[in-house]
Amino acid sequence: MDFKKRLKAAVHYTVGCLCEEVASDKEVQLSRQTIAAISEVTFRQCESFAKDLEMFARHAKRSTINTEDVKLLARRSNSLLKYITEKSEEFNVERKTKKKKKLEDENKDSLEPAEAGGVGSEN
Amino acid sequence: MADGDISDNEPTTRTLLRRVLDTEAPRTPRRRQSTRAGVQRTPLGTPFSMRLRSQTKTTAGRQPHRARSIGRLAHIQTRGQLKEQTPRTLLENILLTAPESSMVMPESAVKPVPAPQVVQVVQFSRRESSPGSLELQLPELNAPTTLAPGRLTSGRRKKRLRLSEFQQGMDQELPLSQGPVTEPPGNTGASSLSSSLNLTFATPLLPQSVQRPGLARRPPTRRAVDVGIFLQDLQDTSVATAFPGDRTPVATLPTDTVLEDTQPFSQPLIGRSPSVHHSLPYPSLSAERTVSRRTRSSGPGLQNNSPGKPAQLLAGKAEEVDALAMRFPNTSSGTSGVDGLEPLLGGVGEEVEERMEESMSLSEVKEATGAQASARAEEPEAHTEVAEAEGSWGAIEEKELEGSSGDKDTEGRTARPELASSTPEFPRARQLEFLEPAPPTSTAVLRQDPYKMGLSHYAKLFSFYAKMPMEKKALEMVEKCLDKYFQRLCDDLDVFAAHAGRKTVRLEDLELLMRRQGLVTDRVSLHVLVEQHLPLEYRQLLIPCAFSGNTVFPAQ
Repeated sequence: MDFKKRLKAAVHYTVGCLCEEVASDKEVQLSRQTIAAISEVTFRQCESFAKDLEMFARHAKRSTINTEDVKLLARRSNSLLKYITEKSEEFNVERKTKKKKKLEDENKDSLEPAEAGGVGSEN
Repeated sequence: MADGDISDNEPTTRTLLRRVLDTEAPRTPRRRQSTRAGVQRTPLGTPFSMRLRSQTKTTAGRQPHRARSIGRLAHIQTRGQLKEQTPRTLLENILLTAPESSMVMPESAVKPVPAPQVVQVVQFSRRESSPGSLELQLPELNAPTTLAPGRLTSGRRKKRLRLSEFQQGMDQELPLSQGPVTEPPGNTGASSLSSSLNLTFATPLLPQSVQRPGLARRPPTRRAVDVGIFLQDLQDTSVATAFPGDRTPVATLPTDTVLEDTQPFSQPLIGRSPSVHHSLPYPSLSAERTVSRRTRSSGPGLQNNSPGKPAQLLAGKAEEVDALAMRFPNTSSGTSGVDGLEPLLGGVGEEVEERMEESMSLSEVKEATGAQASARAEEPEAHTEVAEAEGSWGAIEEKELEGSSGDKDTEGRTARPELASSTPEFPRARQLEFLEPAPPTSTAVLRQDPYKMGLSHYAKLFSFYAKMPMEKKALEMVEKCLDKYFQRLCDDLDVFAAHAGRKTVRLEDLELLMRRQGLVTDRVSLHVLVEQHLPLEYRQLLIPCAFSGNTVFPAQ
């Protein structure tokens, strides 16, 4: 219970900061109750998301939540889905490039000729 | 010879009994009677003992199973001879051993063995006893049973007489009851046996089905599908509709625009107007259908009120249903796989009316489902075909989606639930047959059939349960919402199946969906919902513990 309260407080703080940004951006004022309401809703939605994600992962017979699960969760809102897929693709690409770089570095360090051929085939 | 002796002795026994009763009735103590009994005994004793001996001989000769009865007779014999032949003992012995025939039916060919046979009947009260031997005794037993009631004095005797009476009663009722009782489920063997009048010992099971033929489960009567009428209707509707490709634009656009657009209904009014026209040619039919639904759904009490209506409505409904039935398999055959999923969704969505009504969280709708579910549960199968069909339809929705859909590919799945939803009047089994002839015959049918057509049925239902008059526009909105709801539902199912790396939608997908809808929670499981809302028959199909047959292993 204590953890929950702390989490809620953290969420509330973050939401407050974001709302202040938005308020200053749009030059609109937001009351405290509004921010509290938003943070409460965000918290509950996060709970719901977590349960759904767990369900999806279990449905796919996995024990780890995947990006696929997240995409499934976000499919309702098209724009959000697009955003998420784009981000995930970027992330994947980044990961791949990082992996390749790591592999290349390791290969250069250890065995250059064989790995160079292997890396070349990969590329 | 023994028979002759016995038949001769019959009147003597009776007269003897009468004598005994007349003389000995006022006096109870045995001792005083001893002298008199002794006087009477000598003429009686010998024939009596002779009879006993002959009886035992015949019984011993007849059936080998009679150890007990023989023993009893011997016991009686010894008793009779050792004890004082008081009238009481005499009476007892006579009642125990004498055959049950009488002067009334002298030609019944009464053999000395019926009494022990009756005893045997009491002992061998099972079907395993050889029917052949029983066969022999049955005609004899028929005779004595007519007289049995007059003889109830001793407890043992009572048992035998009751059984024989009972058997006789059962036999009499059997020829009457075999007509209506076609296939009593638990008594197939009994009925088959009793039909040949061989069965005497399965009596504990029989009488219930015999005396209450109405409770027997009859197979649902099936009505032939008239393809000609259907095709005609289809052509009529296709002529009425003026736009071939209407469905796809309507289907694709709103899913993108509605979600982001704040005014989702600004666009589709143009598209919806033809659908209104569609519904116009069929107002009578849908009205009939809703009226029938009204009569059906308003509870089992109203079943009696609408006996004439279903007969009329069925004729009209059959036509409409034919029209609907063929339409959807046509679409399913025309399209294939995921591409065709969207246009099919309008029809496919009908299948989940129950779930839709539940999740709409309207009190009236919930009542509707409750009423429908209760109506389905309460109606015995032997009631109106209409009611049964509705129950089967509702059950089909669940079952087809959950159980059988996993066994077929997506196309088959979409086709079958469509059939199920669009043919509410048809029994479920017939739909399975119907699916096979449907696709081959409907290749040439147009695909632009009005998907809204099927939803108008739901709209009418909605308007009924709203208990208030509704505007047409409101009904249209309801249809729109239903359409979107069903589209989303099937999309979700598809996505869930794909998420699990499968191509077929399975029960788990549906359960996941219901969990997301909030119908299945940590407290309420799917099986609980199945038990609550579906007819009893589907419990054993859908709930593993029910169809496991008492072999349940824990998951490892």
